[in-house]
Amino acid sequence: MSTDVPETDDILVIEGLGKSYSGHVVLRDISFRVRKGEAVVLIGSSGSGKSTCLRCLNRLEEPTTGTITLTGTPITGPRVDLNSLRRRIGMVFQGIHLYPHKTALGNVTLALRKVLGLSAQEAEQRARIQLERVGLADKEGHYPSQLSGGQQQRVGIARAMALEPQVMLFDEPTSALDPELVGEVLTVMKRTKEAGMTMVVVTHEMQFAREVADRVIFLDKGTILANGTPEEILIRPEHPRIQEFLARTRS
Amino acid sequence: MDQIIRYFFDFSLIAPYWPDILRGFSLTVVMSVLTVLIGIPLGLAIAIVRLYRIRSLNALIILYIDFFRSIPQIVLIILVYFALPYFGIVIDPFWATILALSIVLSAFAEEIFWAGINAVAKGQWEASRSTGMTFGQTLWFVILPQVVRISIPPLTNRAIGISKGTVLGSVIAVPELLNVTSSIQSNVANPTALTVGALLFVALFLPFVLFTRWLERAHATPR
Amino acid sequence: MSGFVDTFFNLTILRQVAPLLVEGFWLTLALSLVAVPLAVLCGILIAVAQDTPLRLLRLSIAAYVDVMRAIPPLVLLILIFYGLPFLGLRMNEFSAAVLALVLNGSSYFAEIFRAGLESVAKGQTEAARSTGMSWRQSLLYVVLPQGTRNVLPDLISNTVELVKQTSIASVVALQELLRSAQIAQGITYNPTPLVAAAIIYFLLFWPFVRIVSRMQNNTRIHT
Repeated sequence: MSTDVPETDDILVIEGLGKSYSGHVVLRDISFRVRKGEAVVLIGSSGSGKSTCLRCLNRLEEPTTGTITLTGTPITGPRVDLNSLRRRIGMVFQGIHLYPHKTALGNVTLALRKVLGLSAQEAEQRARIQLERVGLADKEGHYPSQLSGGQQQRVGIARAMALEPQVMLFDEPTSALDPELVGEVLTVMKRTKEAGMTMVVVTHEMQFAREVADRVIFLDKGTILANGTPEEILIRPEHPRIQEFLARTRS
Repeated sequence: MDQIIRYFFDFSLIAPYWPDILRGFSLTVVMSVLTVLIGIPLGLAIAIVRLYRIRSLNALIILYIDFFRSIPQIVLIILVYFALPYFGIVIDPFWATILALSIVLSAFAEEIFWAGINAVAKGQWEASRSTGMTFGQTLWFVILPQVVRISIPPLTNRAIGISKGTVLGSVIAVPELLNVTSSIQSNVANPTALTVGALLFVALFLPFVLFTRWLERAHATPR
Repeated sequence: MSGFVDTFFNLTILRQVAPLLVEGFWLTLALSLVAVPLAVLCGILIAVAQDTPLRLLRLSIAAYVDVMRAIPPLVLLILIFYGLPFLGLRMNEFSAAVLALVLNGSSYFAEIFRAGLESVAKGQTEAARSTGMSWRQSLLYVVLPQGTRNVLPDLISNTVELVKQTSIASVVALQELLRSAQIAQGITYNPTPLVAAAIIYFLLFWPFVRIVSRMQNNTRIHT
């Protein structure tokens, strides 16, 4: 147990998180905290476990060991109301996964109506504000197949933000997009951070990490090798593996 | 050529039997509709139960769908009709046929829906659950609408195939179209009635066959 | 309980009628071994012929296939067996059954092979022809093998359907398995032979039904 004075504005506290699949250890002894308003970026090569780590935070992956708490409420553990916890955690996916049979507006309103119980009017009002914020107010009636990849992902962000979560998780949100569409999504993410949202981001976009992250965590083979500011990790990395990784990513 | 017309297209000969033929035809239509209305929802219900992954139930479900897809429809119809009385259930041939065919359709429909459920990307479940929607809400509002859309082509195909099985009711004396036209044929010693019957079957099922062709083409266009 | 077993699973009766059922089974097998290859072959020929640039031929073939898919096979059988003699075309039950099954089955196979052929990229034919192969060689060695592999589950399940349909030959008193079981039931006043026939059909088709299911359901979902 930590001997520090408990941080009262920690949104997420992760301690001793571990994950293994039938003998194969994917994550080992992951511990870090995310403070209110912070943007924490997880980086590392593929297979380092960064996505698995992120997906444990809303239990899309089940942690094998360790504890995770969200503003003091445990996420891990037996009698957890997962559905109500997930209202407070928003997630954006690499595969985007917009509901193809619903319009952009419909994608955003679905959870507002079914999870929060809002009326159709209230839900649409809130949804329109969210779509406005990601710059897609004029596309509310479009179906995902009528939108570009970047537009779809922005709707994905609006869909998650609409529930006004306490923390946003981004799982390689731009990795599957064509290069020229990446920028629009990163811009929205930047604005989200500037508006004060707490976020944990898994990404390969180093420039974004340098500009936006408050802290960068480098994962290697399932463990945290380094946890520091962007300057410490990205600009003047001490650990040789990090230097290797950055050199490879740059090319 | 003359002979063909005389024996197969002598419509005036069978004209007095026209009301019987129509009655047989409407019975065929009613049986087909009932079979579809019972079989498809039943298949969907079974697929949904299967989704809950209760192991003992799953084994039963798989046995059910395998058995009723393996047994010939005519055998099942005869079995149902002759076996139920031994259990004290008196059932008339009309309902025996519909019961047997609906069960067979439900088994095929379940497999089609199950394939559809598996075809919907896992990410759809994750995206929906990650916004706090429950399993049930996700299934109903996100997954099933997509499943139904994917399932329509194979389902229509299969429904047509099984609806054609209503003619098998003739072997247990259901007065459907084939039965009626066969009787007329032996009464007047002329197979025109059979031709008329065949044409009516085509008239009934061809639109649906063409519909599935159209569906295939519509789905072939890239999204 | 013992009443139930005595009625439906009576081993004494089963022993008595076993020879009859076995003969029926062989006839079912014989029917299948003749009808299936013919239907498959005709299906391939129709599918290949449909590729023709001649619009009229293409549309006629499509019309034939669609009409054949709209008519229940039993109707075809009755027409052939009871109707054709009026034109002097008398054939035995076996041949009539084969003809009906092939006419119906080949149209389904044609559709499956058409889908299979379409699934093979056009580039394959171009690549083959550019190495000097004739049209027939490129079809036989490059396109058909790939197309067939792509639609293998459908081919298998359609073959199963065809063999199941051999049971309709019982209606024209061909002594295949179902008819033998019905005769046995008539002699012994006991439905055990029918149950036995149903189980034999089930055991015969079950492996194939399972294989096809497995081929079509390779993804598992995660909720």
